[in-house]
Formats: sequence, structure tokens, C-alpha cells
Amino acid sequence: MKAVLYSPNPESPQLARAIRRLERDVLRMGALVEQSCRLSHQALFARDLQAAEELPRLDKKIDRFYRQIESDCTSIMTLQAPTAQDLRCLSAFMQLVRDLERIGDYAKDLADIAVKIFPYPPHTSLPEIAVMSHHAQAMLATSLVALADLDEVGGRSIKHLDDTVDNAYNRLYQTLAQQRDVPGVVEPIILLALAIRCLERMADHATNIGQRVAYIVTGQRS
Amino acid sequence: MLLLGFLLGLAVGIGFWIWQQVQLNRYLERVLQPLNSRTAKVTTPWLPRLRQEIAMLKQQDQDLQQSLQTYQDVLDFAPVGYLQVDEENQLLWCNQQARKILYLQRWQPGQVRLLLELVRSYELDRLIEQTRDEQVPKTKEWMFHPSCDNPVEMPTIKSLALRAASLPLPNGQVGVFLENRQPMQDMNQVRERSFSDLAHELRTPLTSIRLVVETLQNRLEPPLNRWVDRLMQEVDRLINLVQSWLELTQMETSLAAQLQTEAVEVRSLILSVWETLEPLAQRHHLSLSYSGPDSIWIKADPARIYQVFLNLLDNSIKYSPPAADIQIQTKILQPQDHQGGEINNSVLEINLIDSGTGFALEDLPHIFERFYRGDKARTHSPLPANSPVETIVGNGLGLAIVRQIVLAHGGSIKAMNHPHTGGAWMQLQFPEVMANSQSQDYS
Repeated sequence: MKAVLYSPNPESPQLARAIRRLERDVLRMGALVEQSCRLSHQALFARDLQAAEELPRLDKKIDRFYRQIESDCTSIMTLQAPTAQDLRCLSAFMQLVRDLERIGDYAKDLADIAVKIFPYPPHTSLPEIAVMSHHAQAMLATSLVALADLDEVGGRSIKHLDDTVDNAYNRLYQTLAQQRDVPGVVEPIILLALAIRCLERMADHATNIGQRVAYIVTGQRS
Repeated sequence: MLLLGFLLGLAVGIGFWIWQQVQLNRYLERVLQPLNSRTAKVTTPWLPRLRQEIAMLKQQDQDLQQSLQTYQDVLDFAPVGYLQVDEENQLLWCNQQARKILYLQRWQPGQVRLLLELVRSYELDRLIEQTRDEQVPKTKEWMFHPSCDNPVEMPTIKSLALRAASLPLPNGQVGVFLENRQPMQDMNQVRERSFSDLAHELRTPLTSIRLVVETLQNRLEPPLNRWVDRLMQEVDRLINLVQSWLELTQMETSLAAQLQTEAVEVRSLILSVWETLEPLAQRHHLSLSYSGPDSIWIKADPARIYQVFLNLLDNSIKYSPPAADIQIQTKILQPQDHQGGEINNSVLEINLIDSGTGFALEDLPHIFERFYRGDKARTHSPLPANSPVETIVGNGLGLAIVRQIVLAHGGSIKAMNHPHTGGAWMQLQFPEVMANSQSQDYS
């Protein structure tokens, strides 16, 4: 029912091929980012420090993909004279990998937080944050599916999911900020506030990816 | 004149026709030649023969189609997953099991899409790329996390341990067999858990039995207390077994995270282990010879490494003939283009060689398994009761513990038989050599 990708341009199969390659790399990068989100979740909520150790390595790989995709995009734009639709797709890719890369960075930040928070006893609002993290991950998954299927509706629907995360962020922020009689130091609370901030940013970037997918399909920014 | 011209024309025409016929016949002959292997020599007119051959070919084609269909059906129904991608990593076909394992419900047969669009698994993609680049079959095991876009269901989705075997096909295509190892791993885990639960349950009653025996020991008169002494030994052995089992289970789950690493000097550590075992060794007049650099520092947990050498040397002592020599050789393996100065990448190799009977060849692959005992005759040789190291020997877990500790340090251990002495030869390798002062040979 959904169009198989980027109705390849019959005039230049070489260009269609190059774009297909590019799309493959973007999806690969997406898979890595998804993986790092999963690891950061595990590090933070299952107190799995080994997962946290793995993240910097993964982040390096993601960065490599990011730089490579960006330079590939530019070289296609300059050398292969893409049509309007292709150009739209390429520019959306360039923006989109930036969003993906940012999500990867936030995952790494979460892992750092997990290491710092490890010595403290688990906070009572941790389960709620875990749910929020699940939401952010689901949004990333949805945006990547929308990208794979070039599904405009799916891409736009992520915006509604983002509201859930924003609400959770506000609620959690209130809970953490209003806490009184903190026993001991405030570091765990600060760390948790930073963590929900990271999650909220992740969700925002996932929303952006969805928007960019819609832009590739329709050519309209909303 | 007119008639003559007509006849001449006719003759030329007929000649032409005959020549063409001959050409055609020859051509058909040539065409049919590779086909008719069975009816070769029979010179039937070519037209029926051609018809017959065509019918035969059609039949053959049908048969082939049918067997192809059968094979495809069989593969579709196979209990392992199979998928095939083309040179651009687009999914061409996959069977039912693969669809189930990889959650490929979105894919319909006949649809050609990038595999990554359907399964965002970086590992699977890498495996396919590597297989295509190197053109050799490969296998890989990894945890597959199905991605899920429903936040409510997310916690309920289970990751799967997958094993994939890939093989390169013509035209840049790659076929991948997928095996779901999760049920096996689950089963293993259940088994481990019930075993350690059992060990836990045994520990308390065993401790109280030991207390009772201790009390009895003091109250009984000489002829009777011999029995109790013997009982005490066996109870100790049981307690030790249960304790080691629990330790081993715990090591397997979380040792790497618990190691308290510091700089450890290997030579003096080995010598201190030997001192502990000396009473035992002296009884058999055994001696230890150490060769290698004077001091080598590695980053390790001293207590655990101590246990490694205690278990290994204890084994060597047990299986050595009287008045023999146990050799320990250490050396630092330098990676290429690394000479002197900083040696962070170098590996410490320790060889421990005795001159006992060695391992039977069929036992070698299994000696690090729990409770594996090669030679049934050698088991349970009870030591004299007053031996100070009695509690560390002979429960069938020693080598399993050694291996677990070495692995947790990121090292490796190999067991062989030494070609010269014929005895056991343990080769350990540790990474993270810290520094060593000038190497001096102590041989």
C-alpha cells in the first residue's frame, strides 16, 4: 500500500542508486541510535554499568555515520544534478541525520548520568521516568518506521506522542523541584532533572525526524 | 527462347530452394544435436523430431519448476529462519520462521524492500555486508531487540538471542539462516537457578550438621571418635562443594563488575601461593622452577588471581610423580611495532607445566566444565585430615572457577599436554600488563 521508496528517477539510475545507498546508511545509523537509547535505558533503570561503558564506542560509530552521510549528500548534490524531489530528499536527510546524531548524544549523556547516580538509592519517581523513556524510544521507533515506509501520516502522528512526553516532563519536573526535606545531598535530584531533560530533548528530535519525513513526501513544511 | 529462359529461371529457383532446404536441415540438425541424447542415431524426419524435443523440454521445465516449488515450500516450512537479500541488501524472500523471529509481519511475498527498512538490526546488516565483501560463510550470535513503537507494550517485549549463519550466493546475493537460541538460554538459566537454589538450601543444614559433629568430636572416646573425624571430613567436603558452587554461579553473573583491581606483581604472588602449598609439595619432594622476567605488574584482583594459581598448582601437585619439577614460565608478548617504552597493549603469557600424566585427549575439550572428571579412578583421593589446604581440592569445580576468574580479567586460558614432559600444560594470557623493569632471565 505504501510506495516503495523514492520512485527511482528513470533518467539517471545512478542517482537513484546513490540515494538508495544513502537511505540505507541513514537507516543503519538509525539502528545504532536505537541501540544506544536502549543501552542508556538499561544503564539508568536497570543499573547496568556495562551498558553505560559501551555507549561511547557506539557514539563514535554514530558520529562517523553522521559525517559520512553529510559529505555523501553534498557530493551527490554537486555532482549528480538531482531533481527537485531528490534534492528535497537529500536536504531532509542532512537535517535528519543531525537529529539522529543529537539523540545519540543525549543517550550518551544519560549513560553518564547513570554512572553518576549509581551510588545513590533509587528515587521514587524512577519508574515514571522509565515510562517516559519508553515513550521517547517508541517515538524514535515510529519515526524510523515512518522514514522506512515514507509514511507521511505516520511522520506527522509523532507530534501527538510528543505531547505525552512533554506532560510527563512537566509533571516530573514539578515533583523533583518541589521536593522538600531532601535527605543528604541534592545530586541525585539534579541528575534526575537532567535525565528527564535529555529524554524530553530526545523526543523533540524524534518529532523533528517525523516532520522531515512528511516534508520529503509532500514538500510542505508544517 | 522464351521457354528456355523460363526453364533456366525455374532451375535456378529450384536450385536455390534445395540449397536453402539443405541449409535449414543442417541448421536444425545442429540445433537438435545437443538435445537428443537418447534418440541420437535414428534418422527420423526433422519436423516430428523437433516437435518431440520441444515437448520433452517442456516436460523437463515443468518438472524443474515443480521441484523448485517443493524446495521453496520445504524451506518456507523449515524450523529455522531463512532470508535472502540481493546486492543492495533488499529482502528478496524469507520463510515463515524468519518472519516470526524478526517480526517481519509488514513484509509481503513479492515485495522487494531494503532489509533495514523492515528490521533495524545493525548486527544483521553488518553480517550480510561482511559476508558479501569477504565471500566466505560466517556465523554470528547477538541479542536481537525487536523495536517497538508502542510505549505500553515495550516493557513486555523480550529480546532474543539469535544465531545467524550467512553464506554468499551468486550475483552479490546473500542467504542467512537464523536460529532462535532464546529457549535454550532460558532453559540453561532455569537449570542454573534451580542448582544454586538447591545449593543455598543445602548450606544451612550442612552448617548445623557440622556444628553437631564438632560437639560430638569433643565428647567421644578414642575408639568411636575415628568415625566422627571421618564424618567431619566428608561434611567439610560437602560444605566446600556447596560454597564453591555458589561462588562460581555468582562469578558467572557479576564477577567482572566486582573485581577490585590493583597493580599485582605476578612473580611474588606465585611464590606466595607456592609457600602455602609447600607442606603438601614437600611430602612428594616436588619443586617449583620459575623462569621469566624478575617483576611483572598486571592490573588484576590479587585475591582472585591468588585463587587461580592455588587451584592450578594444587592440581599439578596432585598429579605429579614424586620428586618432580613443576615449571612456571612467564613472558611478555609484545605486539608488533611496539618496542620498549610504553607497553600497554602487551599481553602476559604464563605457562604452567608439570610432568604428571597429563590429560586424556578426549577430556581436553571438557576439563573446564563443572564437575567434569576425566579419570574416574583419580577422583576422591582423600587427603590426610591434618592437611592445611584440604578444603581447596577435588570438588570438580576448581578449573571452572579458574577459567571464570581469568575470563573476568579479560584473559584466556588453554589446556594442553606438554610435548616434552607429557604432563599438563596450562597456558594463561592476561592483558593489561602495566610495566616491567628490565627483563632478567631467571632460568
